[in-house]
Amino acid sequence: MSDLARQQNDFQRAILTGENAVLTEILDSPKEKRDALFGVYRNAYGSRLVESMRNDHDLLHSYLGDEMFDTMGKAYVADNPSQHPNVRWFSRALPEFLRSAEPYRNYPVLSDIAALERALNDAFDAEDAPVLALADITGFAPDAWAGLKFTPHPSARRLDVTTNASPIWLALKNDEVPPDATLLDERCHILVWRQDLMPMFRELAAEEAMMWDEAARGVPFGVLCSMLATNDDPDGAAARAAGYLHGWITSGLLRAVSSGD
Amino acid sequence: MNIASKMPHSPALAQAPSGKPPFLGFGLGLRTQHYDEVLAGNPAIDWFEVISENYMVPGGKPLHMLDRIRERYPVVMHGVSLSIASTAPPNFEYLHALRDLARRVEPKWISDHLCWTGVHGKNLHDLLPIPYTNEALDHVVSRVQLVQDYLGRALVLENVSTYVQFNNSEMTEWEFLSELSRRSGCWLLFDVNNVYVSAFNHGYDPRIFLEGIPADRVVQFHLAGHDHMGTYIIDTHDHPVCEDVWALYAAALKRFGRVSTMIERDDKIPPLDELMVEVDRTRQIAARILVNDGEQAG
Repeated sequence: MSDLARQQNDFQRAILTGENAVLTEILDSPKEKRDALFGVYRNAYGSRLVESMRNDHDLLHSYLGDEMFDTMGKAYVADNPSQHPNVRWFSRALPEFLRSAEPYRNYPVLSDIAALERALNDAFDAEDAPVLALADITGFAPDAWAGLKFTPHPSARRLDVTTNASPIWLALKNDEVPPDATLLDERCHILVWRQDLMPMFRELAAEEAMMWDEAARGVPFGVLCSMLATNDDPDGAAARAAGYLHGWITSGLLRAVSSGD
Repeated sequence: MNIASKMPHSPALAQAPSGKPPFLGFGLGLRTQHYDEVLAGNPAIDWFEVISENYMVPGGKPLHMLDRIRERYPVVMHGVSLSIASTAPPNFEYLHALRDLARRVEPKWISDHLCWTGVHGKNLHDLLPIPYTNEALDHVVSRVQLVQDYLGRALVLENVSTYVQFNNSEMTEWEFLSELSRRSGCWLLFDVNNVYVSAFNHGYDPRIFLEGIPADRVVQFHLAGHDHMGTYIIDTHDHPVCEDVWALYAAALKRFGRVSTMIERDDKIPPLDELMVEVDRTRQIAARILVNDGEQAG
């Protein structure tokens, strides 16, 4: 290992672990001791990353307040050293961290809010792509419809939450007092996407969520209708499927349709 | 072993880093808070510098806004994660993304910092200092040449604010920068505030730094603010430019002549009008200094 490589290794370790070996290679300044000067780097490391987490999880920050958020943030920083040159991706593992780490795992709403914010962040700068229009599907012959397959827009994301994170998020967004956190009897299905340049989300009924998930996997429209028929009124399944599809297209949730040939 | 330093430099690619970047005038660091105002008002700013990493994303609003702004203004890409002095292997995924962004933006130049940001797969997201040794110089020269070959253009490298000095340094920072520029062909971004901060922290006269940099290698100035802690200064880029830094800027103009200049605010972003006042001041000082010296301010 070269001297430079060894020195960088020691310098980084001193920031991450507090070990002071590298200080023997650093000079005091005319006005300050070396440990205080090196402390600028140590302090900047944690505070810069926690600041980036505040930016990425603005509403979780509002929900927890400065002190609790920063305590949580420091724990996340200690557990997840950044491995990507772009700080944009630093807080990606926050929902999983909050789901598994004490004491946060005891408050599942925190993980759910973080997951919703991550999905919105991802939708915000997801790949650009054309959006399917109603006119794009009107040209198919009636007997071709059963074979139609749909491609979601790259910004679309699905997630399920077990708490009332969605109304809490909305209240925080509107600067209102959020409702008390509760565990739901049944999971809440959420669809996140970007319309024009704005990330947004809405809750889905279980049936629509099931159809979206299967459509995103490439299941053709005819099969989707059959699946819906097993869920509720079989005679109305095709109309319900067409209604969901209409909503997806007008919301800009689909990128393409193919006849499945 | 640093393989790059053992390989002969490609003569064909070595020709890529040529041509001094043009004088762009008096600019500002583009920040998201000002997107709408810039697009609605076409403020009298000569050019914008963008943080490369903010636009190294798949799509959406950041790239949409950047596309709109580059239709109206010259744009320069300024990175914070190149980690040119790191002894870790180069991150070619990062370089690939940087090159893709440059193909889209067609910036007037691409800049980053003389620093490292991490080793062993970790990134500390800070501009970390290096010892000014011959070993470090050889290493950084070879990395700059590699990156310039990869990007097909010369880099512009900025001096960073530092808080520590290493006891094994064999030359000054300005000697290191000068030699780096001479050997690699990279241009220099002279951050006036960073020179002021480092000079205070290490107890030397910033004008000695200024005098030690070859005048023909400097293609950009940064001006920014900082936090004074009494016994040292922290480079926060979240304050207006202080009077001492304005004075050093005037001295830099006398030394380097007409150089593209910009105001760089990274935190506590004020309204655009407030930053425009500082941009106007860069223009006024340059007009006064350069006219007195018989040069056009642009």
